[in-house]
Amino acid sequence: MILIVGGSYQGKTKFARDNFGQANYLNQFHLFVKKRMEEGMTEEEILGQIFEMCSEGKWVIIADEIGSGVVPANAWDRQLREWTGRILIEIAREAEEVYRVVCGIGRRIK
Amino acid sequence: MITFIYGSSSSGKSAYGEERIQGLNHENKYYLATMEAYDKESIKRIERHRLLRKDKGFETIECPRNIREIIPEIKEDSCLLLECLSNLLANEMFVDDKPGDYLLCANKIVEDILSLASRVEDLVIVSNNIFEDGLRYEKPTQDYMRALGLINSRICQDADEVYEVVVGIPVRIK
Repeated sequence: MILIVGGSYQGKTKFARDNFGQANYLNQFHLFVKKRMEEGMTEEEILGQIFEMCSEGKWVIIADEIGSGVVPANAWDRQLREWTGRILIEIAREAEEVYRVVCGIGRRIK
Repeated sequence: MITFIYGSSSSGKSAYGEERIQGLNHENKYYLATMEAYDKESIKRIERHRLLRKDKGFETIECPRNIREIIPEIKEDSCLLLECLSNLLANEMFVDDKPGDYLLCANKIVEDILSLASRVEDLVIVSNNIFEDGLRYEKPTQDYMRALGLINSRICQDADEVYEVVVGIPVRIK
């Protein structure tokens, strides 16, 4: 599993395509978490689903970093931010490679 | 020595801060908790952090503001984890919900932190990245952001090591 994180519009997808070619891509991962939270899944269930899904084949997961702002006023938004952050920590722990993309430049951090 | 740990919400910065403190060999390990319990969510958050640092040998000092006042409690040969600057600033700046002057607050907190730093062998400080959502807020929030930016920059000038934690991975930036 390869994880790529960064802010919006930093060229994460292009960086991924250029460097990892044929693979299964899970892009906009933060929206994947959001959808499941809306459906009522728990943090653990979401994480379980991801690991099950990515257990076979080569996977590249691409996610926006969404925790780098002022604490949202809305409790649901705060929870989404925390869940996304914590789930990404777990994915990063399992991933063989982790990259952070800034201005189109990917830097390997694991 | 000052180690500064910066990161987004739920990036694993507290866990890394604790790991750093645990790796030190000082006789006394303090955890300076600045979060005030004011509603169910903050109580839950405090509980989660208590659980995370359970059995790690910390002595917890709860001090939501005026952290300089804890200095007499600190014993010789100590290290201290200050968690975290965003809460400390909010507690200093929004006393009685009335925002204080951001520059005064920022300078006062920097002074307090540097006093604390001169009392312990190792100070590990956790702070937040709240700066990158590109939104404009009302003046009190903008002032709060400005103050936190100032404090972070000022402390990082004096810090020996600075890390940004990204998805649980510490990336050294100084």
